Amino acid sequence: MLAYIIRRVFQSIIVLLAVGLVAFSMFRFVGDPIEQLLGQERTVQDVERLREALGLNDPFPVQYAKFLGRAATGDFGISYRQSRPVAEIIAERAPATLELAFVSGVLALGFGIGLGVFTAIRRDGWAANIIMSASLIGVSLPTFLIGILLIYLFGVQLRWLPTFGRGDVVDLGWWTTGFLTSSGLKSLILPSITLGLFQMTLIMRLVRSEMLEVLRQDYIRFARARGLSAKAVNFRHALKNTMIPVITVTGLQLGAIIAFAIITETVFQWPGVGLLFINAVQFVDIPVMAAYLMLISVMFVMINLLVDILYVWVDPRLRIDGRHS
Amino acid sequence: MKLVLTAALLAAALPAAAADLRFAATSDPNTLDPNAGNSAPVFSLLGNVYEGLVRRDREMTIEPALAEAWEPLEDGDGWRFRLRQGVKFHGGQDFTAEDVIFSYERASSEQSDTSSWFAGVTSVEAIDDYTVEIRTEAPNPIFVDGIANWMMMDSGWAAENGAERPNIEQGNFATLNTNGTGPYMVTERQPGLKTVLTAFDGWWGEDRGNVTTATFTPVQNSATAVAALLSGELDLIEPVPVQDAERVDATDGVNVIRGIEARVIMLGFPHDKDTLLTGGENPFKDVRVREAVAHAINVPAILQTVMRGSAEPTGQLVSATTRGYTSGIEQRAYDPDRARELLAEAGYPDGFAFSFKCTNDRYLNDEAVCTAINAMLAQVGLKPAFETVPVANYWPALRADEHDMYLLGWSPGTFDAEHPIRFLVSTPNEEKLLGSWNFGGYSSPRIDQLLPGIQSEIDEEARQIMLDEVANIVADDVAYVPLYIQPLIWGVRDGAEVIQRPDNFLNIRWINLPE
Repeated sequence: MLAYIIRRVFQSIIVLLAVGLVAFSMFRFVGDPIEQLLGQERTVQDVERLREALGLNDPFPVQYAKFLGRAATGDFGISYRQSRPVAEIIAERAPATLELAFVSGVLALGFGIGLGVFTAIRRDGWAANIIMSASLIGVSLPTFLIGILLIYLFGVQLRWLPTFGRGDVVDLGWWTTGFLTSSGLKSLILPSITLGLFQMTLIMRLVRSEMLEVLRQDYIRFARARGLSAKAVNFRHALKNTMIPVITVTGLQLGAIIAFAIITETVFQWPGVGLLFINAVQFVDIPVMAAYLMLISVMFVMINLLVDILYVWVDPRLRIDGRHS
Repeated sequence: MKLVLTAALLAAALPAAAADLRFAATSDPNTLDPNAGNSAPVFSLLGNVYEGLVRRDREMTIEPALAEAWEPLEDGDGWRFRLRQGVKFHGGQDFTAEDVIFSYERASSEQSDTSSWFAGVTSVEAIDDYTVEIRTEAPNPIFVDGIANWMMMDSGWAAENGAERPNIEQGNFATLNTNGTGPYMVTERQPGLKTVLTAFDGWWGEDRGNVTTATFTPVQNSATAVAALLSGELDLIEPVPVQDAERVDATDGVNVIRGIEARVIMLGFPHDKDTLLTGGENPFKDVRVREAVAHAINVPAILQTVMRGSAEPTGQLVSATTRGYTSGIEQRAYDPDRARELLAEAGYPDGFAFSFKCTNDRYLNDEAVCTAINAMLAQVGLKPAFETVPVANYWPALRADEHDMYLLGWSPGTFDAEHPIRFLVSTPNEEKLLGSWNFGGYSSPRIDQLLPGIQSEIDEEARQIMLDEVANIVADDVAYVPLYIQPLIWGVRDGAEVIQRPDNFLNIRWINLPE
């Protein structure tokens, strides 16, 4: 197991280097940051001085190497837009995104698995049919449209919930949380539904089809014949055996929730790293873009690793195979 | 609308109760340092916090601010400013001539983005604590107009906090903190998220509304901003998307305020290139071809459909509110037959292919406007290869000369007709900072000859004659095809009294909110 993890960490480093390389080679197509930094009345000297100061005159491999060298020591440079260390900015913004992703993830998993099991057991019930039809909305509507619709309905028409922002947050020093204030909790509702809806319907449909598959198996029939309660059959025996694909998908989707919070964060003006990234792209803020892409790839690599470890934990067969090989 | 007006009048007449303003705009100022960013979002916000020697009133006219009075020096080469006494910075320091000298050195330093304002300045001297003389190489009639955004900083405060010079690339204390003399203090700053301004009780001025705290939130997505205005979570947003303006105005509890920005949207041509990007010789060198383009575009129709009637057509590079505007030059009328005739005369009866570049995220509805122009050009037989580009890539492409016809918007920083002549019309000359946005390389020896006179003629009438001559040459040569003046569309809560200026700055001290 340890050798396996070490091997995976080693692979991860290669993935990161590749992501950095691809990202850096793409930045030159995003535009020229000088255009954003200096006003219309700038002089040629201003432009030259700033290009030199930002290291934009260096050839691309030199810029990349400098970035890697500094990133290895945890220094991601200084944001062009905010003139502050990128690490500081990301640390400031990360809690907003992580809290949003956490709530979305919990909603997606809880409702996804619950509704999936329900629709599988009551396959022909009217409630299950309604849920299945409604889930098509979640799968097919684009995130920004769901967000705008929710804002319009609950923010503008009913005025129950705030239309943008994170509400009041409590600063814990190293973390800001919206969980401790009522405006913070209210603000979480619409964005987390928007962000989690797709994942929820995906998990629900997956759980349902896996359950239907498992419920047909002989051992379920025997379990029923043995007189086990419906609860024990459905949840102990059936659900547990549907978990492998669900864990895979959920793991990857959790990464997606964080990475693709960009759109939800833009629609709700959610002060997280996704919004930061969008601003950085518009401003050609290369240090922020680079740091964000690296962090997201680190996250995906970690999640994949975790998923692999979870497999072993859930499926005993893998453990035995692992011992043999 | 009438009801609203009455409400606004009532609000203005009654002693207003303290109010909190919550407002949003698309972009956050990238710095709070008045010398590290030379852009409208920066000056719009900082104009509430810092003050210059002079400022602009509701009608954009220059009026005294930290200088009570000024006069030309006896020999004409410069200006003498008499400073206001008893002015305090937010931190309690006195404002004196020493701060003016310091602010000059800071704003004109190599590290500053505002140094070009002081290009002709030879010295700035304190005669006594409240008198400053600014010497220029030659008489400069618009020097005072050009320094309305030159903001005074306290020398002691800057020195204590290591912010004697701006630092665009690394930032310093002044990037996040302020110490001005203005009516509002920055009491909270979270870049990109939230900025809170609180009224400064020690302000010297009197003309102020009832806003005691103002919370600014940058909201990128305009649909989000509109929703927040409609739901009552914001009191003021700018801009309201053109296509939403009517619907917002019709909604109870909110109002739309329309105005005209000083920004002129125009088309530019490749004047100095021999071949087009699409290959082949460059027909745009022929004034008849450029005139044909002007006649081919139905600007009123574009404004009616794409801009929903909220912009004004123009035939010049500046709007009528700009100082030095030339009256009598109208836009060339939409006349597709004339356009075809002109093209035939120039030897292109079947038109020709060329590249047409536009931004898609810089000006109001820029992509839609260009799409309409593209279709109109095709109607007279021209064959534009139309392409839209995000602004971050647009300017680099234009600077690299990768363009034929292109879209450009220009807002004159000095609000004087000299500004676009210097930047858009003068023959490009890097050293003298002339023609730095004249991507097409338009060149007129007569205009180059007139410009120094325009920059130094003190006599208004003589100066206007020169400005008129330049405006006529630009129009006759069809150096650009001016299209329209960009509108300002703000959304406000019912009863809010707001002043909208053509520079699109938000002056919080002129805002009165209902209870």
